[in-house]
Amino acid sequence: MKPPLLAQALLFAAAGPSEAEYIAGDLEEEFAIIREAGGRAAARRWYSWQVARSVCALLQLRIRSGELTQAVLIASLCVAAPLLLLDRLWRFVYSQIPLKDGLHRAPEYLIFNALCVCTCAAALGAWAASTWASSRSPGSKSRALALAFAAVIAVLIALWASAASAPAGYIVTLSLAVPASALLTFAWRRSR
Amino acid sequence: MSKGDTLGEFEHLTLLAVFRLGDDAYGMRVRREIAERTKRDVTIGAVYTTLDRLAAKGLLTSALSDPTPERGGRAKRSFRVTGLGIASLNRARQELGSMLEGIAFPLSGGAR
Repeated sequence: MKPPLLAQALLFAAAGPSEAEYIAGDLEEEFAIIREAGGRAAARRWYSWQVARSVCALLQLRIRSGELTQAVLIASLCVAAPLLLLDRLWRFVYSQIPLKDGLHRAPEYLIFNALCVCTCAAALGAWAASTWASSRSPGSKSRALALAFAAVIAVLIALWASAASAPAGYIVTLSLAVPASALLTFAWRRSR
Repeated sequence: MSKGDTLGEFEHLTLLAVFRLGDDAYGMRVRREIAERTKRDVTIGAVYTTLDRLAAKGLLTSALSDPTPERGGRAKRSFRVTGLGIASLNRARQELGSMLEGIAFPLSGGAR
């Protein structure tokens, strides 16, 4: 007899496929022991209760392994980068229409755009730090490499994203936020 | 000594459980060992988070074994205490012994 499917799905969702594999094996082994001693219903209850109470700890384990962090970073980049690309496209389209060229942007629009740039900056910095510092105590060389890489990418994106509206703002935001995010990630990883 | 070098209470229990179990130390056995000896209701998630933290501190090493049918065809992650882990256990025992010296147990005035 198999353990409850819903609890098993929750376990894999919380722990991620690589970690969940052996944790599920442990739970299934104990599930069989409890089923023999206390019956099927008790074993199912025990399994579900173990998973429900372990969710937070398993998420923590997943964050530490870097798997969840990478997923969140990729998701943030996947949202923010296309929005910036769309902004570039519309700017180009407007530049081709005589009366629309050079129009001033609404402040809300600029705020939203800046938010996308900040998201990209934070994601890039954290990604650079996670990639270069695979060990828990990265050396100064890895840190310098990660920061340099993050800063170069940041400036490139800023130059690409900036147009007539606020180029200096973009460049300053990205150039400061990406290395800051990388440093924060280093500090966070060291504290774990 | 930095904060990361000292053992938390649950880390101490987990490290001792791994040491006691020897070659048979993996998540489920560690969980049962702690639960049976301390009468605490310990979750598998808490055990694995602690084992992972101890491995990150260099006090444990881990290895994945081949999948077995009794585990639903899933692999097993076994743990072993390192030299650093043994030194850490010795130090913790010495510190605790030193703190307990001269105190007569059971202490009076505890909650009933």
